[in-house]
Amino acid sequence: MFLRLVADSFTRRPRRKILSMAALAMGMAVATAALSVSLDVGDRLAREFRSLGANLLVTPQADSLPLEIGGVDYRPANAGTYLPEADLGKLKTIFWRFNVIGFAPILQSPGQILMGDPANPDPLRHHNVEIIGTWTNHTVPIPDGSTYVTGIEKTNPWWTVDGRWFQEGASECVVGRALADHQGLHVGDKVFLGAEDPLKKVQAFVPYKITGVLSTGAAEEDAVLVSLADAQKLTRLPQVYRRLYVSALTKPEDAFARKDPKSMTPEEFDKWYCTPYISSIALQISEELKGTDVRVIRRVAEGEGNVLSRVRTLLWLVTLAALLAAALAVGASAAASVIERRTEIGLMKALGANSGLVGVLLAAEQLLLAFVGGGLGYAVGILLARVLGQRIFGFTPEPKLFVLLIILGLAAAITLLGSAFPLRQAARYDPAPILRGE
Amino acid sequence: MARSSMFWRIERRLLTANYGRLFVILLALGAGAAVTSALLNLQMDAKKRLTTEFRALGANVIVTPRQTANKDAAGVTLDENVLPQLPAQYEGKPVPAVGFLYVIGEVAKAGQFHFEPAVIAGTEGNGLTQVRPGKRSEYLANLENEPDACEIGSKAAEQFKVHAGDALQLRNQENNASCKVFAVVSTGSAEDAQIFTKLETAQKLADLDGRLSLIQLSVTATPDSVRSFILELGQKLPDVSVAGIKQFAEAESRIYNRISGLLSATVLLVLLLTSLCVMAGMSNVAVERKNDVGLMKAIGGSVLRVVRLFLTEAILLGFGGGLIGSAVGMGVSIWLGKAVFGVAAQPRWIVYPLSVSLTVIVSILSAFPLRRLASVRPASVFRGEE
Repeated sequence: MFLRLVADSFTRRPRRKILSMAALAMGMAVATAALSVSLDVGDRLAREFRSLGANLLVTPQADSLPLEIGGVDYRPANAGTYLPEADLGKLKTIFWRFNVIGFAPILQSPGQILMGDPANPDPLRHHNVEIIGTWTNHTVPIPDGSTYVTGIEKTNPWWTVDGRWFQEGASECVVGRALADHQGLHVGDKVFLGAEDPLKKVQAFVPYKITGVLSTGAAEEDAVLVSLADAQKLTRLPQVYRRLYVSALTKPEDAFARKDPKSMTPEEFDKWYCTPYISSIALQISEELKGTDVRVIRRVAEGEGNVLSRVRTLLWLVTLAALLAAALAVGASAAASVIERRTEIGLMKALGANSGLVGVLLAAEQLLLAFVGGGLGYAVGILLARVLGQRIFGFTPEPKLFVLLIILGLAAAITLLGSAFPLRQAARYDPAPILRGE
Repeated sequence: MARSSMFWRIERRLLTANYGRLFVILLALGAGAAVTSALLNLQMDAKKRLTTEFRALGANVIVTPRQTANKDAAGVTLDENVLPQLPAQYEGKPVPAVGFLYVIGEVAKAGQFHFEPAVIAGTEGNGLTQVRPGKRSEYLANLENEPDACEIGSKAAEQFKVHAGDALQLRNQENNASCKVFAVVSTGSAEDAQIFTKLETAQKLADLDGRLSLIQLSVTATPDSVRSFILELGQKLPDVSVAGIKQFAEAESRIYNRISGLLSATVLLVLLLTSLCVMAGMSNVAVERKNDVGLMKAIGGSVLRVVRLFLTEAILLGFGGGLIGSAVGMGVSIWLGKAVFGVAAQPRWIVYPLSVSLTVIVSILSAFPLRRLASVRPASVFRGEE
């Protein structure tokens, strides 16, 4: 009888039930879409921020002072110390190895470029340039036996090359945009490169082919870029580099992250060490690469931290607002449907049903509605979240089971709460006046 | 006159006959209106605020000499008179601008004889800390405005073993100068190995009176406005080259567009679904009006008058719910702005009428099922048939 009553109320007046269900489904769709996007968007945005480039800079600890202006180091080739290239694979063995999404070593030296017609090598022009050796699309062996592909395009994503990057071991180079413009160099041209020794003399020139022109918006536009191995050969500094850029996904620094690790208790230190703060990743890198000084590039790290934490809070607030609005509207709709059924409640009571039974009956109806409407809303919401994710970030948020659970629980709670107040009033109804239509 | 007073009497009765229902409807409409106004206001405000947050990245525009074929460290320079020609404000926000002159000189701690080469950067202008963000670990404010004050990068400070308060000797070829350290700064990049002096000190060392290497500016604006700032400044100063700093300007515009797209889309979605949700809930209520309509028609009310009655009711309800809800929403958004950005969001008054009218529209649309009431046959309603 109970089930028949519930079923009846759905089949007898389908239009009204459909409207209630639509309200619920819409509300839950808002909630699902907002929740799914908020849950995934933090990671996505963090990745987006890596377009700012490297956030860590590694240099030798016992180094002479770099004479760097606008990205070019004016130290002579033999001044200062270098770091071993062979250690670089260890970067992918630190605790937060999967957060390291790219790194590129740099070896730089003042040098000269000889240009002219290769068929008629007599009137060769020469020009002083910085020669920068680095990696592009380079395969690094990792100590655990695997390999990892990285390069300057990961750490400096704003660098753009007209043409293509050089290939390793192919005697190819890329010239800066400014250099190419005022020296009249083009892709395909042959040039000769030589690094200066401490006496500012070039011992030998090596032929190179230009494969691309590099735009960076900074001093690298006046330089020539070759592979790290070539730069090591030109400078006669085998297997070393001088600067390393690392791009890592991090958690924005909070008050805890700004504490001095030295003053932490062991538990605090463990927590700090196992959180991907930029400072803890920096410490882990300096533990793996001996004799290095790992510095956080502050403008990048702080800009990222500021914006990310704001946007995350903002999205959660939007989600909360959406949930609240959905809850109020759905609750109102549930309340309305109970208010409208006073006659029915009166009749049931007149036939001997007590308030409890009437309440349970109506609650069962609302719950059924909540589950069907909530499920429908979840499906619609997931679809919307996919469209949103695809349009803005080019990714699709994974449907998460616990979002479904939250949504169903929420739907049930809202409809019950929404109907609880009118139901309590209904329990106090005297059947007689209602049936008389008063 | 009598007819219209009758109309309003019925209207009043329609609204007040059942307080429970009135409350429920106003709650649904008000909730929708509150979310609409709060989100619209917050969204407009957040986009403006984000441009401020992005300035933690430091300079985004750079002014350099026309020819960039720099052959040595000193390179080509520009006239320092460019600095006062830069706009102090853009779109109502101050534009910090600092001129730099770089010299590779030799440095030693006062009283020592071993000099080591280092980059000395002469600076002039306001807002060095905005243009070159970093962390000052030692800072003596009272020394900052001395004519021989200088700031030292953390790496250089380690190398020369100096702290705030110590003096440094600077030299370049035959020129000598000295300065007193007022702060140790750490930025994580090239600046850590540099020494920042007053511009005159660097100019004297380099024998480059009245010259600058470059000027860095930090413009607080949306990526599009920054682009037009660069164009305008380039036209105003044809002798120098004005450009966005590629690393920060590009990433910034990319991230800004993503975030503002995300915000707009989320807000639009939430508004759309919220209004649909309110509409569905309201329609549920409207359908219940069958009995009233049957009665009105039975005593001779024309369909037009009946529909007019219900439309007026919907408009009144939408207006009431909208006025209250939107006001609440504006208040909430001000508070939310404070929670997210630490600064109370500025109420944009255009949002208020916008969200009230949106609520009225939603409310009228919710009365749409009443269209079916035109076909209600009084007799069957009274017989209790569906």
